[in-house]
Amino acid sequence: MISRRFRLLPYQLGLLVGLVLTWQVTTRKGGWVDPFFFSRPSEIAARVTQWFATGSIYRHLWTTALETVLAFLVGAGLGVAFGFVLARNRALAGVFDPYLKIANAMPRVVLAPIFTLWFGLGVLSKVAFGVTLVFFIVFFNTYQGIREVDANLLNNTRMLGATERDLTRHVLLPSALVWILSSLHTSVGLALVGAVVGEYLGSGRGLGYVISQAEGTFDTTGVFAGMTVLAVFTVVVDLMVTWVERRLLAWKPGTVTAERA
Amino acid sequence: MYPALERVSFTVTRGEFLAIVGPTGCGKSTILNLAAGLLRPTSGRVLSFGAPLLRINRHAAYLFQQDVLLPWKTALENVMLGPLLHRWPRRRAADEARRWLVRVGLGGFESRYPHQLSGGMRKRVALAQSLIVGPSILLMDEPFSALDVHTRELMENDLLALWQEERKTIVFVTHDLEEAIALSDRVLVLAAGPGSGVIGAHPVALPRPRDVTEVRLHHDFREIYRTIWGQLRGEVLRAYAAQGRSPAAEEEA
Repeated sequence: MISRRFRLLPYQLGLLVGLVLTWQVTTRKGGWVDPFFFSRPSEIAARVTQWFATGSIYRHLWTTALETVLAFLVGAGLGVAFGFVLARNRALAGVFDPYLKIANAMPRVVLAPIFTLWFGLGVLSKVAFGVTLVFFIVFFNTYQGIREVDANLLNNTRMLGATERDLTRHVLLPSALVWILSSLHTSVGLALVGAVVGEYLGSGRGLGYVISQAEGTFDTTGVFAGMTVLAVFTVVVDLMVTWVERRLLAWKPGTVTAERA
Repeated sequence: MYPALERVSFTVTRGEFLAIVGPTGCGKSTILNLAAGLLRPTSGRVLSFGAPLLRINRHAAYLFQQDVLLPWKTALENVMLGPLLHRWPRRRAADEARRWLVRVGLGGFESRYPHQLSGGMRKRVALAQSLIVGPSILLMDEPFSALDVHTRELMENDLLALWQEERKTIVFVTHDLEEAIALSDRVLVLAAGPGSGVIGAHPVALPRPRDVTEVRLHHDFREIYRTIWGQLRGEVLRAYAAQGRSPAAEEEA
């Protein structure tokens, strides 16, 4: 699997280089494309370098990272708690069901202005916004995970002397964890989306703020530079999630063999 | 709603190896679940060591037909589960679990996860997991039915050896009459369900210690088999009739 990935690497890099070169060539003076609207790769690279050289970007990166982490932790925590309680209590689940479905179907962006009103322009409103995105993913997966636990596993553990609390710890939560982790990429991704969109809609710092400021002054180079930093940041976060997932799911068939191969 | 069982009354004596046979759907597993305390009877009583059973039977271990090892725990952690639930110190639980894994022939496999073990090995881990806490009753629900013939005979012999050493009371449910006779002291025959009941109890006076392969060649084995099958056959046919199928139609399909 690993060797296959590396075999494709030259082609993947080739595609990137080809696209960037085309962009660079077509936007030169007298070229087909107006750099005012599309900027130029060389200028974007210069801008990104400048941001990191002067260190001006770090506080924005830090803010976005903080919002992402907080939104994920709070959203996942609430999702697991709600999912667990509702999965164990059918009547309660029945009462909440229609409202959870409505809330989940509603486009969450409309909440952003409300959260800005309630929590201000700082970190808190972005966290709240991210939480509404992360919560449902984690909630539905926990709920499903606990409902689908094999009755035989529960009975066997009961026979071995487990109390209801032991069952939660040894069977229910680990079993739900599989489902929660399978949605980890999505939920962490959504926490990041929440942070950036929240910043974009109204804030004083963060990557979303950087992009929205550049946009406000028709600074396309700034917009693309912000997007580049954001893209790299996303990839780094995703790699970290993959690493965590590998460690926590070491017992699962596919992951272990892949790691040892 | 039909009751799965009616008129079921029997006693297992201490140290006895009892086998229960019956056609599909006759409530064999229900009996074990009642004895385990996982189910409560809608009427009647279940006694364990003379006391009425009101919750999980703490004297009993249960070996399920399905794979019930926790997939996220290693073989060692799975065997340690019972002791830890009984609040043994971790150190002692681990030592004892290691000893049990050696005893069921899995020394060196401590850190394997269930999916890295074969079906027979998983059954051995499950056996160690049930026996480590020292239950006096072992309830077994077709535990070897998913194994291939050779693994199955090995497991049966190992089970007999363990039983010979520790003299646990065993209630062994199976649909395989040969297995029932080869292993047990007494075979109960259940009628076809629903509303099944015990219709026969046949002592198996074959010499011990036994080897499951050799005991099948014993001249009394055929005789016992013929007697019980004479009774069981009618129930199997009734069970088929109740499902609206005949064995012949089944074979043609």
